[in-house]
Amino acid sequence: MLRSPLLAPLNQADAWSRLAGAVNPVWSLVESRARVVRMVDEAPGVLSLWLRPNRRFGGFQPGQHALLELDINGARQGRCFSFSSAPRADGLVRITIKRKQNGPVSAAAHALRPGQVVRLGRAQGAFAPRTDHQPLLLLAAGSGMTPMMSLLEAMADAGSRRDVVLVQSASTPAELLFAPALDELAARLPGLRREPHLSGASGRLDAEAIVARVPDWALRETLLCGPDGFMAMVEAMHAQAGVTGQLTSESFGRRAAPVLPGADFHAVSLSGAHFDVASGQSLLEGAEAAGLQPRFGCRRGICRSCQCRKLAGTVLNQLTGQVSGPGEELIQLCISTPQSALELAP
Amino acid sequence: MTLKDPGMNTKTRLYGDQLAGFEAELDALRLSVLKQVGEPDARHIRRMRGVVQGSAIAGRSLLMFGWGPISWIAGVLSLAAAKIIENMEVGHNVMHGQYDWMNDPSLHSATYEWDIVCDGDHWRHSHNVEHHNHTNVIGKDHDFGYGMLRLSDEQRWSKATLLQPLWYALLAINFQWGVAVHDIKIGRFLKGRMPRAEFRERMRPFLRKAGRQLFKDYVLFPALAFWQWPRVLLGNLAANLIRNLWTNAIIFCGHFTEQVQTYTPREVVDETRGQWYLRQIQGSSNLEGGRWFHLLTGELSYQIEHHLFPDLPAPRYVQMAPQVREICARYGVHYNSGGFWKQYGGVLARILRYSLPPRAKLAAT
Repeated sequence: MLRSPLLAPLNQADAWSRLAGAVNPVWSLVESRARVVRMVDEAPGVLSLWLRPNRRFGGFQPGQHALLELDINGARQGRCFSFSSAPRADGLVRITIKRKQNGPVSAAAHALRPGQVVRLGRAQGAFAPRTDHQPLLLLAAGSGMTPMMSLLEAMADAGSRRDVVLVQSASTPAELLFAPALDELAARLPGLRREPHLSGASGRLDAEAIVARVPDWALRETLLCGPDGFMAMVEAMHAQAGVTGQLTSESFGRRAAPVLPGADFHAVSLSGAHFDVASGQSLLEGAEAAGLQPRFGCRRGICRSCQCRKLAGTVLNQLTGQVSGPGEELIQLCISTPQSALELAP
Repeated sequence: MTLKDPGMNTKTRLYGDQLAGFEAELDALRLSVLKQVGEPDARHIRRMRGVVQGSAIAGRSLLMFGWGPISWIAGVLSLAAAKIIENMEVGHNVMHGQYDWMNDPSLHSATYEWDIVCDGDHWRHSHNVEHHNHTNVIGKDHDFGYGMLRLSDEQRWSKATLLQPLWYALLAINFQWGVAVHDIKIGRFLKGRMPRAEFRERMRPFLRKAGRQLFKDYVLFPALAFWQWPRVLLGNLAANLIRNLWTNAIIFCGHFTEQVQTYTPREVVDETRGQWYLRQIQGSSNLEGGRWFHLLTGELSYQIEHHLFPDLPAPRYVQMAPQVREICARYGVHYNSGGFWKQYGGVLARILRYSLPPRAKLAAT
């Protein structure tokens, strides 16, 4: 009754929200937003944002991530980042962001100032140990350390005595994230053993190096986060040993699939417009290259903003590797690549 | 080579290299402006939405809680301004997709719904698809005369056409209803060219939207004012009337001034993009005025630029107009622009002139 369109505009949450936002930009009835409280340099090109979310945020579990959306030259763009803190009594959350080349969101995040307000979506994902007794192995490379930090802090807060090995890879000592905080955590986590790996000095962290540092790796429940190549290597290692069931990994959705030269092009029609998209290229990128402006959100298969209806044709889901049926179904433009000619409707 | 049609108005046609050059220059202009679109445009549309909301709250509050004629008039004007800016500067432009690049779901063309009895999806079809595509092509652009006015010689004259000044006055007063039923194509149903089931299907969104609008302005808000209800009801009626007259005048000035050209479906077969540009320019006319005047028209005072580049944010038209005008001058294309009263006078003259039978017919009788 209260949501009836007949009561509009009196019951339009959007409209009330804009009024509230005019008083305090972090107030919203509809959006999960957060104010930047503090910014801390963690390493060269890596920055932590301490944020105070509004009530729409609704909390998070250690290891989860959220969509951070910023207005970049007037256009809303988003990217997922892991929380790098455990849930805290004072409600503050921390995300840690590495500045990426060609990464407009990470660059804009680095240009934020304390006091500014950002859109921080509700927490998503389930990156956490599946058991509470088995010895753990945490494998982190580069900024893949961020969810591990959240998990370790939460274990320390819970007084855990679990056997945990943390293998953390970075190219130089300065780039080993959270080193001082980990020193402190080590005192509160009696079962934690740290194995920092400096790839600048001792080469890439490969399967051999992991075995050398953690001989009983195959017996441990493993959590994995890092660049695509690193994750593929560890996944192959587990597959070979037949212990894939022990492994949980966090990759924030789609892994970039390069468009092969000579890939097939397929004709796509989307609400009256016609364009060609190569196999391996996402439909979203193809549509944008053709000058269209479909709605999008995270661009990595998480938020479903770009979801649209496929009327005919088959697509490959780049996230799951599944090939669709030929008929009508909902697909996400950002992670779908054509396998045949397509007909789409918004 | 430039050829001119004989007759009262001269229609410019371009051919060959000249046409290609004309097309390329307008394409280049579009691209150069598209590159600049960003933060200022986003700020503009958000500010306009704020102005609409503030003005609507002020207007409705004055009507509900005020007393005496002065607060009533102020309330009416404030609510009318809110409706006008919402319909023209925000709704019309957002629904063209001018702000889709912002990736803001509340300002996206696919879902925006405006404060008028016309259903958003109907508008997206009749306006964006039919009118902007087939501008001033008689028989294809159903906005040309709105199916009730005869505004060119290509349209058939009948005795009822003599009454068209009266029809026009009625349309202007009830303009939002004219716009609302436009895409239902009632005429086709009455002539038996549309099955009843399809007609019912087309009526449904209209009835839903119209019901909500009527309820809001004539039941909900008056009821909230308790004993002040007549004041609110009449105020809402007056605000809707002002909006209707204003939007009607501006929209008619866009395409029905004396100098605008019309086209036959045969003329536009195999039309190139350059020829489409030419038709948009010669089928539209601009209004001149100050900053607030342009704002209240939703920049439809730059009708020519809007028809050339309907998906560019409207505040950009003011910056493009001198360049479009200069390009037109070099290619000998008439750029139709004038003050409001001159152009609207032309519209009224056109309505009167074509209400009379064509000269050939007069001579025959």
